[in-house]
Amino acid sequence: MLVNEETGGIEIVKVPSTPSDPSGGFVEATLRILKRSDVTPGQLAFVVHGTTVATNSIIEGKVARTGFVTTDGFRDMLEIARQIRPSLYDLQFDKPPPLVPRYLCFGVPERLDARGKVLKELDEERVREVARELGRQKVESIAVCLLHSYVNPAHEARIKQILQEELGDISLSISSELAPEFREYFRASTTVVNAAIRPVVARYLQGIEKRLRAEELTAELLVMQSNGGVLTFEAAAERPVFMVESGPAAGVIAASYLAASLGHKDAISFDMGGTTAKVGLVQDGRARITRDYEVGAAARAGTGSARGSGYPIRTPVIDLVEIGAGGGSIAWVDSGGVLRVGPHSAGADPGPACYGQGGKEPTITDANLVLGRLNPDYFLGGEVKLHVELARAAIENRCARPLGIDVLQAANGIIEIANSAMVNALRLISVQRGYDPRDFALIGFGGAGPVHANRLAAENDIPTTIIPMSPGITCAMGLLVTDLQHDYSATLLRRADAVEPARIEEHFKRLEASGRAALKRDGVPASGMKFLRLIDMRYVGQSYELPVPLASGAFGATRLDKAVSDFHAAHERAYGHAAPAEPVEIVNLRLTSLGAIQRPTLREIPNQPGASPATALKGTRQVYFAESGGMVKASVYDRYRLVAGAVLKGPAIVEEMDSTTVIHPGYQGSVDRFGNIVLTRGRSR
Amino acid sequence: MSRRSSIDPVRFEVVRNALTEVTEEMAAALRKSAYSTNIKTRMDFSCAFFDAATRPIAQSFAQPVHLGSFVELIPRAVKAYGPENMAPGDMLVTNDPYGGGSHLNDVTVFAPVFYQGEKQPGRLIGYVAALAHHVDVGGGAPASIGPFQEVYQEGVIIPPVKLVEQGEISDDIFRLILAQIRSKRITAGDFRAQIAANIAGIRRLHELVTRTGVDQFLAYVEEIIAYTRRRTAAEIAKLPRGVYEAEGFLDNDGFTDQVVNLKVRITIDGSGVFFDLAGCDPQRRAPVNSTYAMTYSACAYALRALMDKDLPINSGFYQFVRLNAPSGTVVNAVHPGAVVGGWETQIRVNDLMFKALSQAVPEAVPAGCKAMMAQAGYGVIERKSGEYLCNYEALAGGYGGRATKDGPDAVQGHGQNTENAPVEETEGAYPVMITRLELIDDSDGAGRHRGGLGLRRDYYFPHDDATFTILSDRDRAGPWGLFGGLPGRKAYYLLNPESEARPLSSKCVVQLKAGDTLSFQTPGGGGYGFPGQRDPELVLRDVRDGKVSLQRARDVYRVAIDRSAWKVDGRATARLRASAAARGGTTHQSRDKQAAARAERGSR
Repeated sequence: MLVNEETGGIEIVKVPSTPSDPSGGFVEATLRILKRSDVTPGQLAFVVHGTTVATNSIIEGKVARTGFVTTDGFRDMLEIARQIRPSLYDLQFDKPPPLVPRYLCFGVPERLDARGKVLKELDEERVREVARELGRQKVESIAVCLLHSYVNPAHEARIKQILQEELGDISLSISSELAPEFREYFRASTTVVNAAIRPVVARYLQGIEKRLRAEELTAELLVMQSNGGVLTFEAAAERPVFMVESGPAAGVIAASYLAASLGHKDAISFDMGGTTAKVGLVQDGRARITRDYEVGAAARAGTGSARGSGYPIRTPVIDLVEIGAGGGSIAWVDSGGVLRVGPHSAGADPGPACYGQGGKEPTITDANLVLGRLNPDYFLGGEVKLHVELARAAIENRCARPLGIDVLQAANGIIEIANSAMVNALRLISVQRGYDPRDFALIGFGGAGPVHANRLAAENDIPTTIIPMSPGITCAMGLLVTDLQHDYSATLLRRADAVEPARIEEHFKRLEASGRAALKRDGVPASGMKFLRLIDMRYVGQSYELPVPLASGAFGATRLDKAVSDFHAAHERAYGHAAPAEPVEIVNLRLTSLGAIQRPTLREIPNQPGASPATALKGTRQVYFAESGGMVKASVYDRYRLVAGAVLKGPAIVEEMDSTTVIHPGYQGSVDRFGNIVLTRGRSR
Repeated sequence: MSRRSSIDPVRFEVVRNALTEVTEEMAAALRKSAYSTNIKTRMDFSCAFFDAATRPIAQSFAQPVHLGSFVELIPRAVKAYGPENMAPGDMLVTNDPYGGGSHLNDVTVFAPVFYQGEKQPGRLIGYVAALAHHVDVGGGAPASIGPFQEVYQEGVIIPPVKLVEQGEISDDIFRLILAQIRSKRITAGDFRAQIAANIAGIRRLHELVTRTGVDQFLAYVEEIIAYTRRRTAAEIAKLPRGVYEAEGFLDNDGFTDQVVNLKVRITIDGSGVFFDLAGCDPQRRAPVNSTYAMTYSACAYALRALMDKDLPINSGFYQFVRLNAPSGTVVNAVHPGAVVGGWETQIRVNDLMFKALSQAVPEAVPAGCKAMMAQAGYGVIERKSGEYLCNYEALAGGYGGRATKDGPDAVQGHGQNTENAPVEETEGAYPVMITRLELIDDSDGAGRHRGGLGLRRDYYFPHDDATFTILSDRDRAGPWGLFGGLPGRKAYYLLNPESEARPLSSKCVVQLKAGDTLSFQTPGGGGYGFPGQRDPELVLRDVRDGKVSLQRARDVYRVAIDRSAWKVDGRATARLRASAAARGGTTHQSRDKQAAARAERGSR
């Protein structure tokens, strides 16, 4: 996607991915869009890239040959992992294979205690031996994680020096630099994931950079991180573990931007494509972040990922619940006679039955077609012709007949079940995190999101649903509306009643200095810098902290009292109880430093208050709505001809190139000045 | 299903998913607000929802040992207290082994769930329950595990009593319970976390029922049970009919040195699956007695493991679990038998069930697994603070080899799925140092598919004396092999492994002096199929990884490896394997040839 900062114009190009040379696809798309929009490479201000290269290299096992160095006695940390089975009753389960083979894992004599005191000095001679052995083994990358290094990084720092002396310019990932938080396996796993993908990601990004520079593109090259901020190529190549969820993060960022520009601080993003649906949460204008994440984990229908099936990382990741329910998800009847949807997908080949490419399995897309929600002659703007009779036959054979119901009922059933899985995902991201979905706006996008968003909102009593223009490319827009972001943290581990507020202020000042320096290197002027402070707190004895945001300004005694009372409230909200008499502990201080980059402005469409939507009316057709008891006549609109101010009464269908918006009976869609359709419950039903 | 009147097949799936989410939300609330490492990090807890008739309906991803024993506990506890004596906002607590419970550490907090409609009075729709293994419940040794002889030595026994009354914690009861317990501060926090879990469950159920309506909700619950019943019946019908048996033993009973004999007889016929444990030893005046609820959970696990992976588990499944465990035996103890080590019996019986079933479904079951809880508990009165600190954990071990693949190294097996306690968290919270946490090389039971490696964890107490309890097993023999596979290395419990290396019993309490180290070494899993048939490339990988020694590769697996190039020496391997075949193949004992042949078929 290219945004013209002068005109606000947006240009879009899609190219097929090129698995043999993934960077080729991105370069190709960049050059093509420049050509199409008549912009020279030199005119570009910046380029942002979202990529799954980091995740894919782990899922496909294409990682660098990596060594692991830890404290003597613990070299099996990666093999032992969490010692659990990812599925309870499966006698044929597997543990994920370690990313480093055991013969490349080494323990070196040294030891700290939990307070960071040195109990045993580092055996430097042994470190040199290990370094030479790793050299002989031709590893490309090394991860270092010693016990208790999150309190005292001295031994890790020394090992880093020795490895550099012995092995020169080798890729090193040091746990105390990357993720200085306690619980050794999780820190080690984060470090090892970083080490194992670093050469792969570095080659990939360097490949892109080289080719773009050869085209005389001088703009800053940026990559989206899992936390929704962007990093320079250079920083991303060093810390690729921060960008494992680079792609999906963009969708939530786009949702937060859209919501903010429409005056909603709290929103739920709902991004449904061909194979999965992803739900994320925006609170107070910022995407919710988690640090409890596994790369490559197996998806579990309805409840996210199975614990222990992937590689945990402790870097900030935008909190997403992803489920196997996309347009291509297959519907089937199980051995107990119950209709199920997913997690198998018909993919692009053969695709849904209605594509007419030989697919026999009914999918969500087939069900939507049979129900009249999709236009067989205007799918992807008419690019793909859909065959209603094939969709009907597939649903009849695989679902309706085995269940003894008619095709329409079965098709509606497929949609309702898919919706229920999405409702669960939505509740997981909201209710289970302590938020009431009714306080949020729903942003529906992706090719299939607008088809289902209205129903999802109705199920959860969400008052407002927003369907942006061109929902199929909303995700890409997320890449261009983000900030440069650098996260820092310091572990404090002190009781709130025993800490000097001035010390906390000192810590934050120090973190801020790092952030300021990094942003300055990125070329951000002081006026474009912003710093957000958070304190992680818990009751003394607990292990899971709750993040409490701090207001800006210097930290003093009143701020501390406010933070503690905010913590009690957050605990009450999250778990239904608080213990105000119990001592509270401050675990980590966190600083997010943001550098503003130029954002595109949303383009406005012609505005005509009280406008009639009639000019955009394409016609009517029969569409199935369970709440109406069957097929009813619905108006069909051309989205591109809608003007701001128009109000569409449900049941209605709005068609555009890359998606279809379904407005249910009893709901209405108002077109705002940016062309967004804002769905609300109609005043009279 | 569509033919069954009021049930909409679509809403059905919606309600079923939502009920599972109820229990997952409970689990999240419990984990995140708990204080002890055992609960918050090791996940030694479970949550479930029961209907008003106390039938199990939904459960969280948790510990199968708990989930199975819940089935016995909740109906008995509710009946004992009387549902008519419970009101909205009440929560009950219990851990009584002879009231349907398991060992005293497993404390359950449960609550009736009333649905208050707009005009109707509150109507009982079911119960939510949160069970957690508490690090200490008093009794004769810290962490409340030890070689006790009757239940009264094991800690505070709590019959069902109201811990929360109309939303307020009953201070008298709470203080009375905490007075019996060493680790008061931590345990109080864990109790509050259990209460939080139930609050979350009730809140979420209320929302669900508001959407569906009470009558509809109850109709769906019936259908959820019927659905599982239909699928379970269909799955059971596919199992090969017959009578399958296996025998085994525990090292000792924890008080005397006598082995505890266990015998399992499983009958699969048209009416279902019947577990007959009549051949097990009489109850002991020692801690290895399992309660009926505990033994039941082993049967439930064994049966569930043979079913389709995505079968939802609820009353419709449990009703097929039929068990004969004569009272007064180690598998169904009577008052006042000690039960704290009953899980050792339970998990071994579980392993024996799979051994028996290997005759029926050889491709479905593993060779012998760790099959001991591997419990370690210790208490220290910290010199610095004077606080009595207790810790408890259960270690992983080798899993048995399977028909098509190796057994994983260092993993929990069967009904147990608790996590590894991070060393940094342990050392930050307790005055102990973990000096080693590693796989034990060469501990695998050799086989075509080898068993997983056992685990070694060494505990060192630098500054304080400590009371340490081992409640475990397998120090006489390692997990068995199947179809020509060899047994895994047995367990070792050593005091000061680098100096005196004094072997300790698998069940004992030892007083450690400051400066002592205790080394807990769990067994490797049994092998599956003949070691001489193992793919030489896999042997090479294991040797290179240091998991299998060069010597054992040659002597046991009959594979010669060229270490200079890290390659299999094909010719030498062929010679080794030919000479072994000429000598009659193998060094191990009897095997069921027919079953082995079936296993072969199954693995292709």
